[in-house]
Amino acid sequence: MKLNRRGFFQVMAAGTATALASQPAQASDQAQASNPNSIGMLVDTTECIGCRKCEFACDMANNLTGQPVKAFEDMKVYDRERRMSENAFTVVNRYANPEDSNRPIYVKSQCMHCLKPGCTSACLVGALRVGDNGAVVYDAWKCLGCRYCMVACPFQVPMYEYDDPLTPRVRKCEFCHTRLEEGKLPACAEMCPPMALTFGSREELLKLAHKKIESNPDRYIDHVYGEKEVGGTSWLYLASREFEKTGFLKLGEGAVPSLTEPIQHAIFKLGLPPLALYGLLGAMMWTYRNGDEYIDPGESEETDPSA
Amino acid sequence: MCKNCLLVVALLLVISSVFWPNPSAIEAADGVHGDPQARCKNCHSCEKPTHENPCLLKCERPKEVSGIPDSATHGPDVIFLDQLVGLYEPVYFPHKLHADMEKMGEGCAVCHHHNPPGRILACRECHGGPSNPANLGQPGLKGAYHRQCLGCHREWSHKTDCNVCHAKRSEIAGKIAAGTAIANASPGMQDTNFDIMGSLHPNIETPKKYVYKTPEVPDGPIVTFHHKEHTDLFGLKCVDCHRKESCARCHDPQSHPPHVRNDPHQDCEKCHDVADNCALCHVQEETKGFNHETRTGFPLKTFHQQLACAQCHKEGRPFKKLDPACQNCHGEGWIPKDFDHARAGVKLDETHQQADCKDCHTEGLGKPSTCSGCHDDGKAFPGSVPGTVVQPR
Amino acid sequence: MHEPARAEPARKEFWTPGVYALIVLAGIAVVIAIYRFVYGLSAVTNLDQEYPWGIWIALDVATGVALAAGGFTTAAALTHIFHRHRYEVLVRPALLTAMLGYTFVALGLTVDLGRYYNMWHPLMPSMWQGNSVLFEVGMCVVIYLNVLYIEFLPIVCERFIGAVHLPGLLARFNQPVDSLLRFLDRTLSRVMFLFIIAGVVLSCMHQSSLGGLLLIAPYKMHPLWYTPILPFLFLLSAIAVGFPMVIFESLLASKSFGRKPEMHVLTPLARLVTLTLGIYMIAKIADLLIRDAYVYLFDGSFESWMFLAEMFFGGFLPMGMLLSDKVRFSPNLLLASTTLVVLGVAFNRINVFLVAYQPPYAQKAYFPSLGEIFFTVGMIAALMLVYRAAVTIFPILPPGHKPSSRVLIKQEG
Repeated sequence: MKLNRRGFFQVMAAGTATALASQPAQASDQAQASNPNSIGMLVDTTECIGCRKCEFACDMANNLTGQPVKAFEDMKVYDRERRMSENAFTVVNRYANPEDSNRPIYVKSQCMHCLKPGCTSACLVGALRVGDNGAVVYDAWKCLGCRYCMVACPFQVPMYEYDDPLTPRVRKCEFCHTRLEEGKLPACAEMCPPMALTFGSREELLKLAHKKIESNPDRYIDHVYGEKEVGGTSWLYLASREFEKTGFLKLGEGAVPSLTEPIQHAIFKLGLPPLALYGLLGAMMWTYRNGDEYIDPGESEETDPSA
Repeated sequence: MCKNCLLVVALLLVISSVFWPNPSAIEAADGVHGDPQARCKNCHSCEKPTHENPCLLKCERPKEVSGIPDSATHGPDVIFLDQLVGLYEPVYFPHKLHADMEKMGEGCAVCHHHNPPGRILACRECHGGPSNPANLGQPGLKGAYHRQCLGCHREWSHKTDCNVCHAKRSEIAGKIAAGTAIANASPGMQDTNFDIMGSLHPNIETPKKYVYKTPEVPDGPIVTFHHKEHTDLFGLKCVDCHRKESCARCHDPQSHPPHVRNDPHQDCEKCHDVADNCALCHVQEETKGFNHETRTGFPLKTFHQQLACAQCHKEGRPFKKLDPACQNCHGEGWIPKDFDHARAGVKLDETHQQADCKDCHTEGLGKPSTCSGCHDDGKAFPGSVPGTVVQPR
Repeated sequence: MHEPARAEPARKEFWTPGVYALIVLAGIAVVIAIYRFVYGLSAVTNLDQEYPWGIWIALDVATGVALAAGGFTTAAALTHIFHRHRYEVLVRPALLTAMLGYTFVALGLTVDLGRYYNMWHPLMPSMWQGNSVLFEVGMCVVIYLNVLYIEFLPIVCERFIGAVHLPGLLARFNQPVDSLLRFLDRTLSRVMFLFIIAGVVLSCMHQSSLGGLLLIAPYKMHPLWYTPILPFLFLLSAIAVGFPMVIFESLLASKSFGRKPEMHVLTPLARLVTLTLGIYMIAKIADLLIRDAYVYLFDGSFESWMFLAEMFFGGFLPMGMLLSDKVRFSPNLLLASTTLVVLGVAFNRINVFLVAYQPPYAQKAYFPSLGEIFFTVGMIAALMLVYRAAVTIFPILPPGHKPSSRVLIKQEG
């Protein structure tokens, strides 16, 4: 493993001078993020009609609730904003469209499959990991159930089976990685009637997204959500309205693991700071070997040890 | 002399053939059509495209060239989309109904986008299969269908329910029947005044008139537009004026403001000569509307009143003055010997049946009769009736 | 290590009304734990998809680690590394606290983990994930727990060498066990300095990493608490709470066992607290100023009040008290001020892990359920029970009834 010098300085800064370390670490190597095999999904929210068929497809593909399609045709659910749950890896929400009150904006949410995910960096046993194609997948067998992944996810995506006393799992979209291996599309993309979901290589999708914006400047705002957010995500979004107004979070461009990993790398990959501390303490132990004496409780006296 | 001429011409030909740039050289030098980025293969399928046969690639090309008509002169009436018949009932798509509507839009190219000049391509000819990994921007057939339909339908009906198109079997039978009805309908029926896009569209109650205030024309601050007259009487179709409208303007007026014309004259000047004739429309007060008698001196009575203008003014708009003589329209032998006078509202008694038409209608047929030619007892129409009054037929 | 006893098992009636109360509370915790193992986390806790961590993490783990290790690490560093042997008397109680505290952290974590039976996974090199802050915390805690047990072994040896009386058939092993204990004692006394330094290093590492846990959630943390130097602040606060914790324990034990408070060491130690606590407070305030986060201080929000309360009751107030001679020489006032520091650090951990944690899509706030509260209370009760039992069995506390003669101490190691 290459020595991460920045990370080393990071920990030194954090450990020695409070004033020096007042800036959060930026993504150390943006270049590492781009994986040519990285898959992606482009969601064109202007094409989404809010039919909830993706929710149905996801439910079927992942054996979640097993409800019939009719259960997903209930449009009353749009009356309040929903979030994913341990039984729903994707949900569609409706947001007002100021330009046409009769034609609301629908936004599908699911795991964004970050290029540098917080969850995989947080998981202490590697139960969550980034696959070769960029899909963030979960291995329940390894999982401890500490739920640190839920803390670490900037999109608040991983969900947990709190009701299960024995084998609770972290639940989230895994990009239908088993279907992909069989050569199929992710279930939601396959089902989507207006094909508002386009599956493909992330690189190609980004090109397509920018081309769409360029050729329809009236239709789209000039921002591909997920291109740069938290170091880039595999799921990309096009929209007609500012993303912050349709349930998206305003996030910076640095990947969240860049805030912790440099420190970890410095400690584990290098091992220098702990060893240095060890040596320093040993030296002190030696230096101060002629310290003061044991004072019997009977002979209490006041001296200033810090002097 | 001619020998020399031929020599020079031959020399020129040889020189030009050597220096004549070949197509690939054009491309390499500065692109094509003045676009340095363009490559022949991007748009043309053949090696040497000509003006007559440009062999343009179908589907999406970097440069759009659309050469397809803007009105549906041909094309199927009804299309059944049954690619997913294993999963759904076939979707009934009344093509003609939509094709007629496109007259109000921007022609067939609204749906048949990226179509090269020539034959109009069906959706599936470009959007084949589930999706195209080589061209991610081109949705698969399912996406193309749904986007094309929903693009407009949710604009105005706000309905995105599946069953709007994916009908149950019982419903589709009804739609097929209705579709056949359109297909079999006689041209005359489709030309009725109310029909804007085929009989499936419910008739639209048109406003009687609009009164516009035009204070910028001091001499004629009021313009009256008799809308109903134009549609009912003059036989204008909605699309004759209402072009480039969208369904949503009528169906969803709250969120779609009415179309504001840049130049209000442009609709009128199709028929009326408005260039130097402001007073034709701009007058001091609201007008009463079209009156055939005051405008032309030829009153329209019971029968003629029921006719659309074009039934007499056969040459079409703009309507021209006609010879008012009956035979001009009705032909020489129009009045039969056995004319059933009851059709005119009066069933003649036996005595009057003997009379010749001109005996009573001295001023001309269709005009009030003169009784004094025979009667000296002072009897006169309509005080006295030469028979019994009946309902005119 | 065979100097005359400077610590011996406490001689006091074990069964008191207070002990019965502790047993009841601990019993409730056991019932809650059983209920959680049978019916799942949702049956007992208020944890949900928005708030994956509750007081079992904030108090049982984060605060537990800070208080348990803070005391021992600082005491060990002071006596063994800086060789201030006058404080020797405080080291064994602190060691016991750390050992029990960490054991209970592990127990509490077992109840909180969804797949507690996989707790051994981080030990498997095939599953090591060095990028994870939690991995570091976990590994350090596991190693440190073992270090603590090793450091405790000499006390066991001291208690049982020459006094191994196994019951019944096992009596035949009395001799081998005694030999083993003597061997251990000899060996350990030579290498103990290695473990002592390791203990301090490990402690520093995971105390800070505990603060690093939340660095990965910048978009969920309130800016009053979210700072890149959070690990450093956690370390400083653990150091700051070390001596107060030792003083607090000692005074509490004195009260509980009816002894004379060890003011001769506690008062100078209290003086040191002003230094450690002062450094922590300065770092925290400087951090606020440098990050320009002070603008949130007085915006009247719940978070601002919580932050101000944490700073005042856990920082300024005890700081002011400890600066006065009167407080430092009075057992009661000293107990009050150190209690404030101890609670202040607990307050800080609750603030960082629960109050500052605001998931962007949260529709409500987290408040612990009765089950969570009573389990935590029960765990503390159980810890106190075991502590009380341990000090009556092992030589932990200094001889309380008669002052022993002054003894010179050999160097350790």
